[in-house]
This record gives sequence, C-alpha cells and structure tokens, in this order.
Amino acid sequence: MRRSVVANLAAHGYRVVEAGDVASALRSWDAERPDLILLDLGLPDGDGGSVVRRVRRESTTPILVLSARGAERDKVAALEAGADDYVTKPFGLAELRARVAALLRRTGGQAADPAGMVSLGPVTLDVVRHVATVGGTPVDLTPREYELLKTMLSNPGRLLTKARLLRAVWGTAYADEGHYLHVYVSRLRRKLAAADQAGETRDLIVAEPGVGYRIAEVERPRR
Amino acid sequence: MTIRRRLCRGDNRLVANWLRFETPAGTADTRAVTDRVYHRRVTSLVQLPRRPVFEPQRVLIAAVGTVAGVAAASVVVAALESPLVAIADASPVYLVSVVLVGSRFGMWAGIATAIASFLTYDLLFTEPRFSLIVADPRELLDLVLFLFLAVVVGRLSALGLERAAEATRRASESNALFAMSRILAIAPDLEAAAVEIVERLVRETGLDRVWIAVLRTGQTTILADSEPGQPIPVSAFTTSLVRTPGDAPAKWVRSHDPKAAGAASSETRSEILRVRMEADGALIGALKATRVRASGQPPRETTRLLALAADQLALAIRRDELRREATEAEIARQGDTLKSALLDAVSHDLRTPLASIRAAAGALTDPDVTLTDDATRSAGAAIDLEAQRLDRLVHEVLDLSRIEAGALRPDLEALDIRDVVEPAVDRLRPMLGDRPVTIDLPDDLPPVRGDAVLLDTIVGNLVENAGRYAPAPAPLAISAAAEHGRIRLVVEDGGPGVPAQSQAQLFDKFYRVERTGAGSRRGLGIGLAVVRGLAEGMGGGVEAGPSALGGLRIVVELPVAATPPADAPSSLGSAPTAGAEAAASPGSEPARTPR
Repeated sequence: MRRSVVANLAAHGYRVVEAGDVASALRSWDAERPDLILLDLGLPDGDGGSVVRRVRRESTTPILVLSARGAERDKVAALEAGADDYVTKPFGLAELRARVAALLRRTGGQAADPAGMVSLGPVTLDVVRHVATVGGTPVDLTPREYELLKTMLSNPGRLLTKARLLRAVWGTAYADEGHYLHVYVSRLRRKLAAADQAGETRDLIVAEPGVGYRIAEVERPRR
Repeated sequence: MTIRRRLCRGDNRLVANWLRFETPAGTADTRAVTDRVYHRRVTSLVQLPRRPVFEPQRVLIAAVGTVAGVAAASVVVAALESPLVAIADASPVYLVSVVLVGSRFGMWAGIATAIASFLTYDLLFTEPRFSLIVADPRELLDLVLFLFLAVVVGRLSALGLERAAEATRRASESNALFAMSRILAIAPDLEAAAVEIVERLVRETGLDRVWIAVLRTGQTTILADSEPGQPIPVSAFTTSLVRTPGDAPAKWVRSHDPKAAGAASSETRSEILRVRMEADGALIGALKATRVRASGQPPRETTRLLALAADQLALAIRRDELRREATEAEIARQGDTLKSALLDAVSHDLRTPLASIRAAAGALTDPDVTLTDDATRSAGAAIDLEAQRLDRLVHEVLDLSRIEAGALRPDLEALDIRDVVEPAVDRLRPMLGDRPVTIDLPDDLPPVRGDAVLLDTIVGNLVENAGRYAPAPAPLAISAAAEHGRIRLVVEDGGPGVPAQSQAQLFDKFYRVERTGAGSRRGLGIGLAVVRGLAEGMGGGVEAGPSALGGLRIVVELPVAATPPADAPSSLGSAPTAGAEAAASPGSEPARTPR
C-alpha cells in the first residue's frame, strides 16, 4: 500500500520520503523536516501515537493519520495527541490527495480580522458584538451555540474532536455535557440552515461519527 | 479425650478404602499411593467405635419396671393366696409380670423379672418362708418356665421394637431423600440447591458448619457453605465416612495428620467430618462438616443424612456436568454450522468481487496487451468498484464478529437522529438509484441515546438493504417518532416485501429470503443481523413487518436520551460583557437531570 501511495503522490508533484517504522520515521523527521506527515497508526515497531507526540513537541507540521476502520478510539487518541486529520483504510487515492492538499493549504487557526469579524462561507461572526449572521441574516444563538460556532469557524478545514470542542466551549470541567454535544451542534446547524436561503451552510459542519466534526474550507468546493 | 491409636495396618481394606479419599480418581495403583500417603502423613488412623449401647437411663427405667412388675405381681399373689380367696398356688400370676416387663423393656428386663419373681415367690410364699430352700421341685419348674417365657417374649418384643425403629428410620430416610430431591428439582440451579441442602443439614444434624467441596478439573472449589465467606476450617483431625459396597455398615475412620496445612494454628478441639461424593466411580468432591471432637461416631441419624446428601449431591453435580457438556457440545455444533454457513457465504459472495479484481488486474499487467488510456482507466475503475464492494462485505463480517464476540462497547451519547439519517442517506444515494426517498423526521423529536458510529451503521445497513432488495423505482421512506420513552425509527420500502412466515427469521445471520431471478443472491445475509445486534447492544430492539408502501417495514427502537435544557437566552445585539462570558462557562449552566 505504501508503494502505491508514494508513487501516486510523487506523480502529483510531491516529494515523498518513506519510512517503514517508528525509528526511521523519527530519523527522517529530524533530517528532512517535511511539510506534512502521513502516518499509519499500525506501524510494525510501536505506537504511531509516539511519533505524533514527538513531532508535536517540536513543530506544528500537519499530520495526517491513516487508520483501520472501526478503530475510532485509536483515531481519537491520535487526534488528541496532536494529529490534524485522519483517513480510514481502505481509502481512495483521490480522497487522500484531497486531504493532503487541504492540510498543506491550511494556514493554521484563523484569528479574527482586525475588525473583529470571523467568517467562513456565508457565515460571519462579529466577535466584538457577539452577533452571528448567515448571508446577512442575523441568527439567534444561545451563548453555547455562539461559542461552538466561533470555535468551528476559527478552524476551517479542520477536524475537531469532541473533546476539543467540549474544552473550547464548556471548559475542562464539562463532565456530563459531553453526552449532549451532538444535540447542541444539531441545534446550531438547524438554526444556521433556517437562516440560510441559499443552502450553503449544509456542508459547513460535517459529523464524523465517533470522532467529532469536520469544518468545511471556504475555498473548497462543496461536496 | 483419648484417641485410640489403633493403627489399621492390619486391615488393608479399611486403609485402602479410607485412602481412596486422598487419591485422585482413576489412580491405577491404589496400594502404592496409599502406603506412601499413609506413611508420610497420617500418624494415626482409627476406626471410631459405635456409640455405646449402654445407656444408664434406659437401664434405670427397666430396673424400675422390673421392680414394679414384681411388686405388683407379689401383691396380687398375696391377695390370691390369702385365706379369703385361698388359691393354693398363685405363682402363674408372675407370668403376667414377666410377659409385660419383657415385652416393654426387652429380654434382659424379662429375665430379671423372671428371676426376681422366682426369688420373691420362694422367699415370701413357699414353706419354709423367708428362706431360699426349694422344697417343691414344682417351683423349679416354674422358674425354668418363667425364664423361658422371659427370653421368648423379650426376643419377640425386641424384634418388634427393632422393626418399628427400622420402619421409623426408613420413613425418615425416605423423607429426607424426598426433601433433598425436591430441593434439587425445584432450585433454579445447582448452587442454590446445594446451599439449601447445606442449611438443612446444619438444621437437622446440629453440626457446627457444613460445606461442599467440589473437585473440578483438578481444582477444589466450594459449591456451598453454611457460613459463606468465612475461611474454610482446617483441623489435624479428619474423620471420614468409609462406605463399602454391599450391606456392610458404613464406618467412620479418623485420621490424625499433625502436619496438615494450617492445622497447628487451628483449633484442635474440633474435627472435620468428611463424606466422599462420587458418581460413576469417579470422585466428585466431598461433603464436609465440623463438629466438636468426640471419641464416638456421629449419631446414626447424622451419618445417614450426610451419606444421603452426599449421594444426592454427587448425582446432581454429575448431572449438572453432563448437561453443561451437552450445552457446550450444542454450542460447538452450532458454531460449526455457523462456520460452514460463513464459508459458504465467503465462497459465493467474497469471491465474486475478487474474480473481477483479478481479471482487471490481469488485463492491466499483461505485457502483451497495449491498452488505450480509456481501457486502463475503466479497468482501474472496475477494480476500485469491486474493492469497495469487498470492503463492505468484510465490514459486515467484522461488525457481526464484534457483536458475537461481545466486544461491542457502545459509547452512548445523546444524538439527534436527523444528523445520523441524513448523512447516511446522502452517502448511499448512488446505490438507491432513481426512486422517491421520503425522510420524515419531526423537528421536535427528542434526542436518541446511542452510539454515533453504531447508529450510522444501523441506518446504513437498513438503507442498503432496502436499496438492494427493493430495486428502483420502489419508493423508500424513513420516519421516526417518539413513543413511551423510545424512539421508533422506521425504514420501509415499496419492494416485493418478505412473506410473513420469513419475517421472524429476517434478523438471523445468513438468512436470505428465497428469491428467484436476477439479483437474488447478493449480500451475505448478515446486514440485518448486524442491525439487530447493534440495536440490542444499545439497549434497543428491532422488528419487521409489512409496509403500507407494499414492501418491508423495519422498525428500530432505541431509548430516548434526556433532553438538555436550552441554555441562557441569546445575547444577540448586546455588547460583549463579562456576564455573557460567564454564561458560557460551565459553572453557570443550570443543573441537568442525570441521564
């Protein structure tokens, strides 16, 4: 599988450095400092999570994790350790390339612009006035929903794990609320959809069952 | 208390019998083992004596009876021989005493009465009075007759008493037997029955503590204990019931083993009674009890009850084992059936995509064939398509095996079912073809309590199932409603449907509705089995029935999750304040009802 991935990425103009195990991966990391790391969690000589942690200590280089289906816990653990996104095996090469391109494009979290506005697609947040609008139509949000939306809009193209959203919105002591995250997100999405005549917010927040939510990119064509 | 150190070296049978307790069943050379164990550990081996027959109370009562009988007879004789009645020889009156006393108190009392009667009569009523000189040989004849009668009557009455005692014994034995079989028959399982029997034994025998040690696969486990939780007592003194085949009465044999584990620290005033439990000649375990150490055997009643209980328990345990073995064999057999069904399915359904993949790959790698770019791409696309199909099949099998292995660990959360249904339908729309799809999920539906990944699989499998067996343009409708604290998710189609008699089996693995024609054999027939497994794993259920659309209607029922209360009203339009920030912190969140 590695061979065809490498060949395909190389054919699309990427320079690829291969590593077959954790030790050589870390050696390549030290020597090459790549722009992006593709990491299979099922490495022969150990836990891929250790690579994620090591790289995260030293840099914000994007990490895309490849994991087996059904191993939601492993995925979440890798994402919590600092990985940016994942692709489930078996995957199509086109899908993989799209994820790689998205991660390379990403310029880190978008802070509010000087005017205090955060926007993604048709949705705009006025951070100063705590107002959300969709295509100019104001949306009536509760404080929770507002915080959720702000966190999401600040991370376009990112995969946000449940734990991360909970920490951002509820703080570290979220305890029971965790079970309700989906319901809050659901309400938020419905409010956005109700205010959105063009139907552009439909794919803005995409649920990844068992992992969290993926936030669309502005530039990315909608699926 | 003295221990009679009568080592039973001479009585080989006894030693061998007793030592069978120590020897695992089936040891070929019993003697070799017995000698070794005997010399190494047991310092004394004593057959306990039967309870002494001498009972002072009974003797006293018999003596009183004898005296009273003789006295009464003497008074009557005196009256009869008085000048008033003037019967010359009233000595036969004593016969009445002899018979009465003999029948009431036994042979020895009868003999005593006979002799006492003779002496009294001789002393008081014959000339010369107050002397033992027998002048009349007739008196000697009387004595002999009295003695004879006493022996005969005594024997007869003793026999009667013994028979009566025997009858009582048998009655109580069969009562106990009946009670125990009843316990064993009624109790929900062997453990419960054993506990009840143990308690009954404590109640009826007055033993301090009774427990059942069972030997299973070389390990001793305690099946039941009258004082559960307490450490099992240890004693250097173990008294075992030795039962030999045939009519020989059971014997209690005490062994003294000063080196027994923990014996030194344990109380030496008590001993352990042990009754071996065996069935089909194999050692199953032992019924054990503690009692205060005594030189005599336990009472016969106790011995009998313990022996009976041991036999009944041995049979019950053996039966339980056989039943368990039969169940295991049945499970193994079903497992085999499952495996062959799986192999069958694998050979048919997994090979088809593999064959296509290999054919396409063969075309691509053939050095003699130059393919056009379009042909190459279409071969690649075929490989991709078939590989996806293979992936779905493997996924299904993996889901099923996770359910079967009990490895399902649902991560239960409150979910909006619309967020699950809509993406799943979107994802599968390509395979649904051109057909009307209705999704009717009310806005006010309470959240469902489930695992997002598993629920997604359920919806995906149901939609796929409908897409596969109800070919387009048959309509597909998905709806949900809340009812009695449950969410009922309904997926129905306008396809050919499933005959009523097959609906019950629909959720069985590898079950496929018999169908003729194209597309009749697609899928492993485990998609719905997975749906049921997952739904049950999340505390829900499934049912199938006919749909108003004409096809199959499948209902998945899942528990409703508590609705989280809406948080503080919107701060829309207000300036950012510390208050608004605080409202978003966990501390100010209203208390939630626990899930």
